Amino acid sequence: MTGADLVLEALEQEGVDLIFGYPGGANLPIYQRLPEHPKLKHILVRHEQGAAHMADGYARACGRPGVVFATSGPGALNLVTGLCTAYMDSVPMIAITGQVNSTQVGRDAFQESDVIGATSSVTKHSYLVTDIAQLPRVIHEAFHIATTGRPGPVLIDICKDVQMAEAERTPRTALSIPGYQLNGHVRLQDAKVAAEALAHAERPVILAGHGVLLSHAEQALLDLAEKAGVPVGTTLLGIGGFPVKHPLSLHMTGFMGTGWCLKAVQNADVLMMVGMRVDDRVTARLADFAPKVTTFIHVDIDGSEMGKNVRPHIELVADARNALEAMLPHVDSVDDRRGAWLTQIDAWREEHPLRYTHSNGHLQPQDVLIDMYKRCRNEAVVVADVGQNQIWAALWWNYDRPGLFINSGGAGTMGFALPAAIGAKFARPDLDVWCVAGEGGFVMTAQELSVAVEHQLDIKIVLLNNFSLGMVRQFQDDFYGGVRSQVELTHIPDFVKLADAYGLPGVRVERLADVGPAMDAAQRTKGPFLIDFRIDPEANVYPIVPLGKGLNDFWEAPQQ
Amino acid sequence: MSDRIRVLSVLVEDGSSTLTKVAGMIRRRGFHVRAITVGPSGEPGRSRMTLQIDAGHAEVDQVKKQLERLVEVVEIEDLTEHDVHSRELVVARVKASAVPELVAKGARVLEPGSVSTTVEFAGEGEEVGAFVEELRRHGNLDVVRSGPVVMRRTA
Repeated sequence: MTGADLVLEALEQEGVDLIFGYPGGANLPIYQRLPEHPKLKHILVRHEQGAAHMADGYARACGRPGVVFATSGPGALNLVTGLCTAYMDSVPMIAITGQVNSTQVGRDAFQESDVIGATSSVTKHSYLVTDIAQLPRVIHEAFHIATTGRPGPVLIDICKDVQMAEAERTPRTALSIPGYQLNGHVRLQDAKVAAEALAHAERPVILAGHGVLLSHAEQALLDLAEKAGVPVGTTLLGIGGFPVKHPLSLHMTGFMGTGWCLKAVQNADVLMMVGMRVDDRVTARLADFAPKVTTFIHVDIDGSEMGKNVRPHIELVADARNALEAMLPHVDSVDDRRGAWLTQIDAWREEHPLRYTHSNGHLQPQDVLIDMYKRCRNEAVVVADVGQNQIWAALWWNYDRPGLFINSGGAGTMGFALPAAIGAKFARPDLDVWCVAGEGGFVMTAQELSVAVEHQLDIKIVLLNNFSLGMVRQFQDDFYGGVRSQVELTHIPDFVKLADAYGLPGVRVERLADVGPAMDAAQRTKGPFLIDFRIDPEANVYPIVPLGKGLNDFWEAPQQ
Repeated sequence: MSDRIRVLSVLVEDGSSTLTKVAGMIRRRGFHVRAITVGPSGEPGRSRMTLQIDAGHAEVDQVKKQLERLVEVVEIEDLTEHDVHSRELVVARVKASAVPELVAKGARVLEPGSVSTTVEFAGEGEEVGAFVEELRRHGNLDVVRSGPVVMRRTA
């Protein structure tokens, strides 16, 4: 068999059903053999970045790793942003790139680039395959590493001559990766101490991140929160980890989180952070973060997160679900001042509700999202882009289950939404998929509309079009002296015509009264559908913590 | 030694990418390399790196934790607060006239000559530092100095 066959066969053995890719000089041997492996369905993308985001959306929607093919040089380098997006958000992905012949490496051959060098900061692990003897072992290792522990993207760079080399099929052997020992790092001995600290606290708060979703810890989290009477906020990526409508829900935390969540965090005495990195978007000004906390509890599967940003008093290094389940039996009695704390939080919820301006004659983004929510409830996947649209989509939907909200949190990659929505739809054909994007991010990867049309994917594209880079414009208005610099997108395509050119229906909506009919049309239509919502160009995201300030200093939407 | 500096003995898998991955991790986390020594380990297919790393603006325990995340890293021993043997090597070309004094301080002659003589000296970091000062006083002609290799003292 050839190296290409060994690769493809290993992918089949790993249960891969879908590959997002783009052929080129250095991976042609793999593409030559691909038709011989009909179990592997290949989606031809229009740009490699699109492939990476599709694989990412696929993985986030169904939990299985997304697989990407790209050729050497520019093909592989076009993946970098997509790899970084997946890496920052701990999404399992396998990227298989072609590399020039092993004897050509280092000679600046045509389309040669140092892919390992360029991607090692945005991958969990990577391999350069220069010898067919490494196959298929590295493929299986890559899947193991990508999907276990803290998930992440793994890249395999395979020299073209290795793809063409011949070798006998060898029996599959057990993996041995001495530098990747997961169990050795688990530390759960303080589960009891953590449980008691939480239950006996006067003003406890739990913050839940992406790790809760990745480890399917939602039920354990709910059980623990209810048993110990602890309110729960989520990070942007933790949305869906705890039902927003639950009486103990604080909704979203962080620098664009809800006022009542931020008040709770800033007044908590015990703060447990589960499956999250505690990054600057969660803490805002670190020195002012959760100043009344006497005991920080941090739960994360990656021990390097302990003390990276906030030094915990109690550390549980484990899968979030294992950790929460280990804590649960140790919650016996709950502090009797808990009622007063929850009453206080309810008062803050009344005092600082989410609100928006909707009386200035313009269509407001929240109107669009609320209409969308009424139609979908919690039965659709929402894939958001980055910017104001992302935060509106996070705050104005009441997600009650995991896996319904997909967005690029850590990397904040504009252009993510459309290809990720395509990947999500491939992963979950049974669910409606809505892509929410601003016009700025949308045009960065709009060429992937071809893929949506080619496969007649039922994706509803909601463009929140404000003719500007809205989040940047808001920052400039509020934090950079009101100087609007390079944020107006005065020359954008007519998106209805653009949709028509790609072969999908589209409509424009400028008035609130037309939102419903347009949504009806989108839902009636099989296949992709685009709605260009012309929203209030001055609409802002609130609450927001001014840059450089602490969470206490959040600004709210102006009163009507 | 500054409390920002960690001394780590790192067992790594041999491979074309190992050194760049270790170096890349150090660079992108904002750490700085003070000294690095690499050589074969007792195990086939693996090398031993001895690193002295300044944690920079990061928390000092991040140095070991971040390096542990690399799949190429098999094992790390943090020797910072341990009693260790830490040995460095100096090879120097010196004027023949300086040789007797240097030999008296523990140097060994590698290559005698009528104009210049090549000597070596091994010792703990501070001893080696003192020896290099001595060389400078004698107006050495050329000097190369290794990073440290470090091993825990037996109890």
